[in-house]
Amino acid sequence: MTVLQLTDVTGGYTRKPVIKELSFAIGEGELVGLIGLNGAGKSTTIKHIIGTLLPQKGEIRLNGVTLNENLDKYRSSFSYIPETPVLYDELTLKEHLELTAMAYGIDEATLETRSQSLLKEFRMEKRLNWFPAHFSKGMRQKVMIMCAFLVNPQLYIIDEPFVGLDPLGIQSLLDQMDEKKKDGASILMSTHILSTAEKHCDRIILLHEGRVRAQGTMNDLRRAFQMPNATLDDLYIAMTKEQDHE
Amino acid sequence: MNSLQEVWSKRFNHYMNEVQKYMRFVFTGHIALVLVFVIGAVGYQYSEWLNVVENSFPAEWIVAIAVGFILALSRPVTLLREPDQVYLLPLESQMPAYFSKALRWTFWSQIALASIIYIVAIPLLKVVTELSSGQIWLVLAVIIVLKYLNVHIEFNYRYANRGASLIIDRITRGLLSILTVQSALTMGYAYVVIFIILLFVYNRALAKRVKVQTIPYEHLVKVEQNRMMGFYRFANYFTDVPHLHGSIRRRGWLNFIYSIVPYSQKSAQSYLVYRTFIRTDDHFYLWVRLTAISGLIAIFVNIPLVTWVVAAALAFATTIQLKYALLSSGDFRMDRLYPVDGSQRKNAVRKVLRLFMVIQAIVVMLCSIGQPLFFVTGILVIAVSELTFQMTKDPSSEY
Repeated sequence: MTVLQLTDVTGGYTRKPVIKELSFAIGEGELVGLIGLNGAGKSTTIKHIIGTLLPQKGEIRLNGVTLNENLDKYRSSFSYIPETPVLYDELTLKEHLELTAMAYGIDEATLETRSQSLLKEFRMEKRLNWFPAHFSKGMRQKVMIMCAFLVNPQLYIIDEPFVGLDPLGIQSLLDQMDEKKKDGASILMSTHILSTAEKHCDRIILLHEGRVRAQGTMNDLRRAFQMPNATLDDLYIAMTKEQDHE
Repeated sequence: MNSLQEVWSKRFNHYMNEVQKYMRFVFTGHIALVLVFVIGAVGYQYSEWLNVVENSFPAEWIVAIAVGFILALSRPVTLLREPDQVYLLPLESQMPAYFSKALRWTFWSQIALASIIYIVAIPLLKVVTELSSGQIWLVLAVIIVLKYLNVHIEFNYRYANRGASLIIDRITRGLLSILTVQSALTMGYAYVVIFIILLFVYNRALAKRVKVQTIPYEHLVKVEQNRMMGFYRFANYFTDVPHLHGSIRRRGWLNFIYSIVPYSQKSAQSYLVYRTFIRTDDHFYLWVRLTAISGLIAIFVNIPLVTWVVAAALAFATTIQLKYALLSSGDFRMDRLYPVDGSQRKNAVRKVLRLFMVIQAIVVMLCSIGQPLFFVTGILVIAVSELTFQMTKDPSSEY
């Protein structure tokens, strides 16, 4: 079953589009990596999916509805971990979790059980009453991750998740992602850490200058670039060189 | 070479534009209205009091202390910026020209406050002292000389000590300034000359130490940053200053208020807004300050009409500023993605403001007990606040 479907999406911040006729789909239980150079349009694509930017052309369907058709259903269907943590300076860690649970209609008992296990997983149990001002970059990232997994939605949208996390944090995040996948959730992850993407993603979407340059499994990509046995790093560099020739 | 003078002129123009840009919002706002009424009421009470003040009133000391205290606060305005410690480093030997321009501006921009305080006190001096008009104006000249010395000494002291233990210098200058003004007011002109010579010698001693030191960029840049931050904080009460984040305090003693928000999806924004309001210093102290001013006016000005107008104007000011502060934000926040109704935030802000404006109404009403029709003040505060929230535009719809 298709969870997220982008059809011919064109859009950007101004009338000059950053992403052009983007089409791809993510199915149930799939982990898809969104890969591209700086400025290729990864973050812009994500902003269109979460609805902070609206497409100039084309359509985005999540769980069968567009944002305009059913705002509540669309928004309850995903959770988002931004590249730079966005926290409320005035809320403690505990309150971030509580607020998220309230906003997504999660009952108190579920909040309690889910947050207990997340806090343990990310080793943040002792910081419940701290304000974000006292958190390191990695801890701030962990708060965002915990809030996202607390919601337990159909789709996770994760922008550059490994930046700033320590190795244990990265492992915990990957474990969580694996677990959610087994339960049937889908994940769209943009990243520059190509080795991790290659190892964990079921499929890869290579963005280049706002268009999908290639997509599919690693084998599909190798065929597309005619580079058998290539790693994702090799493919990525090949794409960079292609850009230099233009 | 006059490149550094150009640097100063450019910065000065930029600075003046910045100040004007924000002062426009300050003076076209409600504060102007409140000020007119407050000044009117205070002026009226002052002139009434002059009729009954006794000759034994220690006016000389009070004026000297007020003026001397203000004179001692002579923070230099250097308009230095952080990159200067790298880019202006090769020009260090030419910096005295830059600083002399900076100190000239510091002097002219700060002389007004001390002069105004003194000029306001002149009617009082005329009533309780035997000073002639000429002698009274002579004191103003003394104050101007003192200000000049204070500005230079404070700068040199900060420079020579790289900002350390400024309080010692301020107390010294404050005491000397107070004594000088007091002597001038009591016609002890010999003392005036002695104190001024003392300050002059103090300044020369510091200037000698300055000569053998490098510029304390770190300290001067910090002073400048704090000064601008203070200005932006102030301007932020009247308009939205971008990229200004207020400090946060837990204020645990107010935690009980949060319990009025039930745990439900519908209350998500209320959960957030109550905490944002109470814990953000900018928002919370704004309310405390305006409530306190309103209350003090109600206590000390026994003219019901003035109390009402001030209470109404301040209720308007509190409501509109907090509405603006809590509803508008250009930054991305996670609650923009929440699957909740878009009007929830506005309703939450309305609830929080209603609660705190009722508290303001009660405070002001209690402060005006004893006046005829004291309950009118409270009703006015609530009515004005509700109307303001209803009738003003919603800043969140701008985005």
